[in-house]
Amino acid sequence: MSATDRSRVLEGGNPALEGHHLGKAFAGVIANADVDFTLQRGEIHALLGENGAGKSTLGAILTGLYQPDEGTILVAGRPVWLRSPRDGLAHRLGMVHQHFHLVEAFSVAENVVLGDPRQGPFFSRHLHGMVASLGERYKLTVDPRARVADLSLGERQRVEIVKMLYRNVDVLFLDEPTAVLTPPEVASLFGILRAIAAEGRSVVLITHKLGEVMAVADRVTVMRDARVVASVDTKDTDPTSLARLMVGRDVDLAPRHGATGPGRRVLVAEDLCLDGRHERHVEHVDLVVRAGEIVGVAGVAGNGQLQLAEMLAGIRQPSAGRILVNGVDITGAGPRAARAAGLGYVPEDRLGTGLAPGLSIADNLQLTAERPLVAGGRRAESEATAMIARFGVKARGPREIVRRLSGGNVQRVLLARELSAGAQVLVVASPTRGLDVSGIEFVRRLLDEHRRAGAAIVLISEDLDEIFGLADRIVVMYAGRLVLETSVASCDVTELGLAMAGAVDAGP
Amino acid sequence: MRLDLERRAAQPPHLYVSVPLVAVGAALAFGALFLWANGFDPVLIYVEMARASFATRYGIEDSLISATPLIFTGLAAAMAFRFRLYNVGAEGQLIAGAICCAGVALAIGEALPGALGVAVILAAGLVGGAVWAAVPAVARARFGTSEIITTLLLNYVAVLLARYLIFGSKSMWRDPLATNFPQGRALPRMSGLPELGGTQIHLGLLIGIACALLMFALVRWTRPGFDARVFGDSPAAARYAGINVAGVVLCLLLLSGGIAGLAGASEVSGRAHRLDPAGLAVGFGYTGIIVAALARYHPLGVVPIAIFVGALSNAGTTLQSLPGGAVPSAIGTVLQGAILICVLASEIHVTYRLRWRPAALLSQ
Repeated sequence: MSATDRSRVLEGGNPALEGHHLGKAFAGVIANADVDFTLQRGEIHALLGENGAGKSTLGAILTGLYQPDEGTILVAGRPVWLRSPRDGLAHRLGMVHQHFHLVEAFSVAENVVLGDPRQGPFFSRHLHGMVASLGERYKLTVDPRARVADLSLGERQRVEIVKMLYRNVDVLFLDEPTAVLTPPEVASLFGILRAIAAEGRSVVLITHKLGEVMAVADRVTVMRDARVVASVDTKDTDPTSLARLMVGRDVDLAPRHGATGPGRRVLVAEDLCLDGRHERHVEHVDLVVRAGEIVGVAGVAGNGQLQLAEMLAGIRQPSAGRILVNGVDITGAGPRAARAAGLGYVPEDRLGTGLAPGLSIADNLQLTAERPLVAGGRRAESEATAMIARFGVKARGPREIVRRLSGGNVQRVLLARELSAGAQVLVVASPTRGLDVSGIEFVRRLLDEHRRAGAAIVLISEDLDEIFGLADRIVVMYAGRLVLETSVASCDVTELGLAMAGAVDAGP
Repeated sequence: MRLDLERRAAQPPHLYVSVPLVAVGAALAFGALFLWANGFDPVLIYVEMARASFATRYGIEDSLISATPLIFTGLAAAMAFRFRLYNVGAEGQLIAGAICCAGVALAIGEALPGALGVAVILAAGLVGGAVWAAVPAVARARFGTSEIITTLLLNYVAVLLARYLIFGSKSMWRDPLATNFPQGRALPRMSGLPELGGTQIHLGLLIGIACALLMFALVRWTRPGFDARVFGDSPAAARYAGINVAGVVLCLLLLSGGIAGLAGASEVSGRAHRLDPAGLAVGFGYTGIIVAALARYHPLGVVPIAIFVGALSNAGTTLQSLPGGAVPSAIGTVLQGAILICVLASEIHVTYRLRWRPAALLSQ
């Protein structure tokens, strides 16, 4: 029985959850306007939209976190007023937020029963068994006795899901659940969601990723600019038309690859090692990137990618090996020397590392510039105004504080600075993470343009779509080593997945 | 009906002034309650305080004299706290500056001509404060030791050192002629800061204001100031940009200590004219933190706030001499505390506003 057949069979009676004419504004900014949403029993329903389209707000309203300014919510056909998430849970509506709400020092089981009004002053003796059996039922493997602090992000997400199932929710919202997961974890999450839906419960998947919608959802509601623009069965649609609905125009996310053959060796890292006491070691990394080439560094987060990037950018000093940029040895010479040699770095942590969040756009554009002792503000501001226009940053002006910008505009400011300095080597980490489709399109186009102009680019990412969409060559990083190297054309995805999981041994 | 906090869509600049003003009003109302409970007429007392601080010539003079050390210590705190370096040691650095300043003044005697002599002893104060801050500064820059603990503890050392120099030893700072009760040796006449226009207000006030302008310009327009702003906002971004983070920490803490040392030098050479441990250790350093916080760590904001706080503490003292009497001078301190709490608590209203949620929606 296919997913759509299943939902049709279960469709009798009232929908599980309805919202009618929902409206919500925050200090004058409209987040939801006249939103209608209908969720059937047993369906996996994707809520698709760009960042800021209002999908998370809708989820928060429908689970009691926010109260709507207008409109009504019906649960199983009866109007309800949800004052708090607790009210939501009482009506069996639950949400797994993008940022988890877990107590790290507590065990899995303790987290699961946390906040449950049915629990007495002492935990039940059957607690662990109960949590374990709940997990088994949905193939959610979690050890109830493990401490949350010791769990990976994927495991923590499972704890959040078990928590909701323990509260016996009929409707489970998940806000951008795949943002923190590796490809195998995503596949297993989708299996779990299907198992939940098969019991007649409903799942709402809040996302901006088209591939996920097509892979797992029965139905999709598309939001744009605080309104619902369409609600269709996934079998009646395709990614291209969904993207058009979501963005309001045609978008081009087709893979881009280098046209010309690669040129000279612009970035050379030889036998790079890092053996800090409190951080991931990097062991014997050799990496050559040629002009006009993008090399994707794939891998699960925390396998030394950050350390590698920071060594290349001169922020960390390698314990052995050397780095050449344009033939200049910059090993251990610091970030300024790396820049002077022609290297630009777009870190994954944009707000906080790449940019100083409390300073203005103009100040941030000057962050890495060689400045005179006494700086004139006027020239910096006019330069900033020009950059804002060139990179399409939506801001009130060069004095706008960077923290106040949206995620996509933050990345535009960072790219504006790093790409306009004329760098021939770029190290970019997760450049499209958290961005919406227009932002992703913009970043990919920009990086592609630089490759065509002859830049050598190291693209570090956990997101294989991103790597396949841009890279010419792929290396996989695992436990501080490069364990696999392959060209995109001859790449075997299974082998890549195995390498990311550490199943390929690159030798000593 | 229910009250909700709601984020403001925009933050008009006038809020940065109007919100604290309302908060000061609230603090005065709280103080009024306190006065009323003690059987005083709050209106009468507030009018009297305002008159004593700002309406008479001596009142204004006293307010400005009290404000002078607070401008320095306020600046010292502002230049550290603004960049998330919590130097709470201005008290000790002030005393170290005073000891250094008095020592140099006594040592050079009448040897240097007026202006040069004054410059040298002020520089001595600056160095004294910076030296006192040097240990915490190096520890923080090199090993990441919390400067809160180290600067705080050194305050006690400085206070005890000053007491030892006057009460516990036959040091050069002690007046050999004072046999009954030990006191500091009077500084040579040449090394006194000149007083302004027949008042007792001394040059320290103008130096303090000049310092504030200098600090403002330093932060706003220079490269080291820019580096400090980046560091204060995000140390990770500073490292990313290749800024020497340890150097920034070191410079800021030394600068902060040096300015606090100037407070001591200004007090010694402008007001007391001798090393007077009891008169120095009255909490200028800690009050400076309050001044800086009220000024939102803005160097130019420190000056008016210091004058306001100085006037407030003066007014407290004048109240004691009111006819009918028995108004505790502590009322000044009570008001200071109330104002600080109210202003700091009110900060949320710059970014949030209160909104009444209509009952109709709740009962739906």
